[in-house]
Amino acid sequence: MLLSVDNITVHYSRLPALREVSVFVDEGEIVCIVGPNGAGKSTTLLSISGVLNPTSGDITFDGKRINGMSPEAVARAGISQVPEGRHVFTTLNVEENLRIGTSIRQDRSDIEKDFKKVLEIFPVLAERRKQAAGKLSGGEQQMLVIGRALLTSPRIMTIDEPSLGLAPNLVDRVYETLLELRKDRGLTLLIVEQSSERALKSADRLYVLRSGQMQLEGNVADLQDGEKVRQAYFGFEESTTDDDEVAF
Amino acid sequence: MIEANTPLLRLVRTFWPLIILSLALLIIVAIVDFTGDIILAQTLVEGLVRIVIVAALYIFIGNSGIISFGHIGFMMIGAYATAWQTCCPYTREMFMPGLPVYLLNNTHHFIPAILLGGLLAAVAALITGLAIMRLSGIAASIGTFALMMVFYSVYLRWSTWTSGASSVVGLPTTTTPWVGYVYAVITLAAAFLYSRSKWGLALRASRDDEVAARASGVNVFRQRLLAFVVSAFFCGMAGGLFGHFLGMLTVDSFHLSMTFITLSMLVLGGMQSLSGAVVGVVVLSFVIDVLRRLETGVGNFSIPTSSAEVFVGITIILILIFRPSGITGNAEIYWPFKADVSASAAMKRQS
Amino acid sequence: MDYIIQTVISALSFGSFYALGALGIGLLFSVLRLINFAHGDFITIGGFALIVPSSAVVATVLIGGFHPVLLVICVVAIVIIVALLSYFLVFQHVQNSSPATMMIVSFALGYTLQNIILMIYGGRPKAVNIFPELTGQVQISDGVSVQILQLVIIAVTWILLIALVLFLRRTKVGVQMRAAAEDFRMARMLGVNGKSVIALAFILSGLLAGIMALLFVTQTGVLTFRMGTPIMLFFFIATVIGGMGSLVGAVVGGYAVGIVSVVLAAVLPGDIRIFRDALVFLIVIIILLGRPQGLVLTKSAKDRV
Ligand SMILES: Nc1ncnc2c1ncn2[C@@H]1O[C@H](COP(=O)(O)OP(=O)(O)OP(=O)(O)O)[C@@H](O)[C@H]1O
Ligand SMILES: [Mg+2]
Repeated sequence: MLLSVDNITVHYSRLPALREVSVFVDEGEIVCIVGPNGAGKSTTLLSISGVLNPTSGDITFDGKRINGMSPEAVARAGISQVPEGRHVFTTLNVEENLRIGTSIRQDRSDIEKDFKKVLEIFPVLAERRKQAAGKLSGGEQQMLVIGRALLTSPRIMTIDEPSLGLAPNLVDRVYETLLELRKDRGLTLLIVEQSSERALKSADRLYVLRSGQMQLEGNVADLQDGEKVRQAYFGFEESTTDDDEVAF
Repeated sequence: MIEANTPLLRLVRTFWPLIILSLALLIIVAIVDFTGDIILAQTLVEGLVRIVIVAALYIFIGNSGIISFGHIGFMMIGAYATAWQTCCPYTREMFMPGLPVYLLNNTHHFIPAILLGGLLAAVAALITGLAIMRLSGIAASIGTFALMMVFYSVYLRWSTWTSGASSVVGLPTTTTPWVGYVYAVITLAAAFLYSRSKWGLALRASRDDEVAARASGVNVFRQRLLAFVVSAFFCGMAGGLFGHFLGMLTVDSFHLSMTFITLSMLVLGGMQSLSGAVVGVVVLSFVIDVLRRLETGVGNFSIPTSSAEVFVGITIILILIFRPSGITGNAEIYWPFKADVSASAAMKRQS
Repeated sequence: MDYIIQTVISALSFGSFYALGALGIGLLFSVLRLINFAHGDFITIGGFALIVPSSAVVATVLIGGFHPVLLVICVVAIVIIVALLSYFLVFQHVQNSSPATMMIVSFALGYTLQNIILMIYGGRPKAVNIFPELTGQVQISDGVSVQILQLVIIAVTWILLIALVLFLRRTKVGVQMRAAAEDFRMARMLGVNGKSVIALAFILSGLLAGIMALLFVTQTGVLTFRMGTPIMLFFFIATVIGGMGSLVGAVVGGYAVGIVSVVLAAVLPGDIRIFRDALVFLIVIIILLGRPQGLVLTKSAKDRV
């Protein structure tokens, strides 16, 4: 097991945002966590990255305990996060943004190779190399942050809502890229999404999180009809209300 | 255990923090009065004046969450306004020749003088607050800082009214321990009542979540302005007390170090509770006093000159490092007897 | 005409000095949200480092008597060490507190430093004479002469500004620092070492304070334990006017304050001129009301203020 989140509880103030949540990810897998607003998905990823500290439970990566480590140490260990809301450095240009991703690496020659590769994957970034990142469109910024995270040469990449604010065709492109990266470099992915539709298409395994608690865990192959996911997502009370408007 | 079911007990419980604080101060004042130690009495009066200042700071800072660096300016306004009415009838014209004829020729009693001093500070707060209370967060803090500097620079240069860079001396030393005690209790009561009033509640709501408070109809600007004016009034009175404690006034005493020491007291005790304000004053005054005594020498032992200030600075830093929300952790003193949960929860305010 | 040129140079040199000070504060604010009121006292320490620690009336020069190059290096190194120590011993432990709490901590630190100086050196002002050749006048055209030091201040400021810009744009750590200033958490999640970036900001801020100490003492020729406070206030205003956290803003703010105070001193009639400081602070309030984020708006400042 590459990454294992074991029964973590996380508090912002007095109320827990996560209660005894467990997630595990095997090498080479694509795992997806879905859940409604405020479920605790971002909280889970931020805890993995060392930004938040669980009050109880353990997080281990490659056999080593990583909770309590600083965000930069977690990044060095090989976990790279693309957080919710992009977070490009707007005053830095595109190239500088990408270079920040390489700050933890020592392997000079490989850095240059990877740098070229990222620009090949996202040719738009090559065109805009010297432009301030704040002036990129939303989709371009999303590519930039994914490219930047890739340049840390992570063993696992966690992505918080890659489809947020993107046009459907762009979402497709992002996912295609992610799948290719997995194929080419054996990248492991932990993706957070609001809707399970995309997850059921691309992921190997799926978790459903609601109100800070894990509701369901399973192989995507076993969940294709969607009923179980729907029940876990909305809770049992609402599962009878057959509301087609809610594209979850 | 005492069950709070009679009306009197319920009243006692509601005002519990205020009662405890006043009683504790009463005991201290009585003991010092009994010992007759003059130096101790001086320290005590200084501490009581600081309680007035810090409780006044609490009215604005504790409830609004905006750190104000400007209130010492209001204290100065009150101090000089009081001195204009009470100071040194024979030499007043020498120190403050620019005063209007009425003030030069008439001397008011200490109590109305101090109230007028507070009132002038409140008016100054109202006028300046109309502008500055529109700011939020750190911009508001910086605005109050600039305000203090404006007051300071004006009073420093306005020497026909303030004696400028030199001092006004010969104020009657009216502020005895008991006078200080009365004003301290009045200020604590005002601060307590204000923070329990609907205005105090509304302002705290805006402190905890400004957007939500606005959404539920709180006029944040007006509430801030009210607290600003009320706290300036008490700061102004504190200024009057201060002048009549020292017997003299200099503009320089109302500058950065006074601002910093009083703010430290508030933050040290726990910025969001009135008990914290008092605890901060008591603890820091005690530390300062002990160190000053060590500096002058106890027996054969003494510490180097101005090392007292060094230790005070280090103490403040250490407390803020190890207890960022203050000694009291922002909680009020609560009803110690078995009480229904809701009441004690209401007493302990959430941080 | 001569008078105008002299006033312009004087305004530029004041502005340069304030710009350097505002930069020292802005650097720390941008990565740490700290308004460091001890910055003025760093400058004071740089000044007192020149003389032998003693409370004697007549100061004995120590570092102040070294070869100029060694003198500059020693003073700057001492101030940098003080700045770093203040990070590791003090600010590191409160960096998650509110900006207001950090501001009070920095006040407390400044107060402590001032009193340590007072304890060691005593309260009397001490005369120190360094670089005496700089306080002379130089003829720049017929009948117009200015103090050499004013030109030196302007030149040193621009050399430092250019060096800083190159550092922030061209070096890896410089780019990391800009990233951390904009979004500290994101930079850390990409592996940028938060502690080193902040330590670096303290080093740069100490470097500026050390150089300013030399310029300031050359100008005034006196050391007092409180000399950092009044100049610190002007740096602070400059930072606020320019926009907290924006380095360009700090420079703009510094020049604005320098120019405004020199111009006010030149144009105000005598009996109002004494209220110049009050006017400057009034202008600060007016600017705050109009643009709470300062004159130069940065994205990070917008999120923060
Ligand atoms: N900084 C914070 N301070 C306090 N509470 C927070 C904070 N961030 C999140 N929360 C709370 O924690 C809970 C989980 O939030 P989280 O951001 O993890 O949800 P999410 O699943 O990512 O939601 P979304 O799909 O809207 O991004 C929510 O109830 C939220 O209100
Ligand atoms: Mg989220």
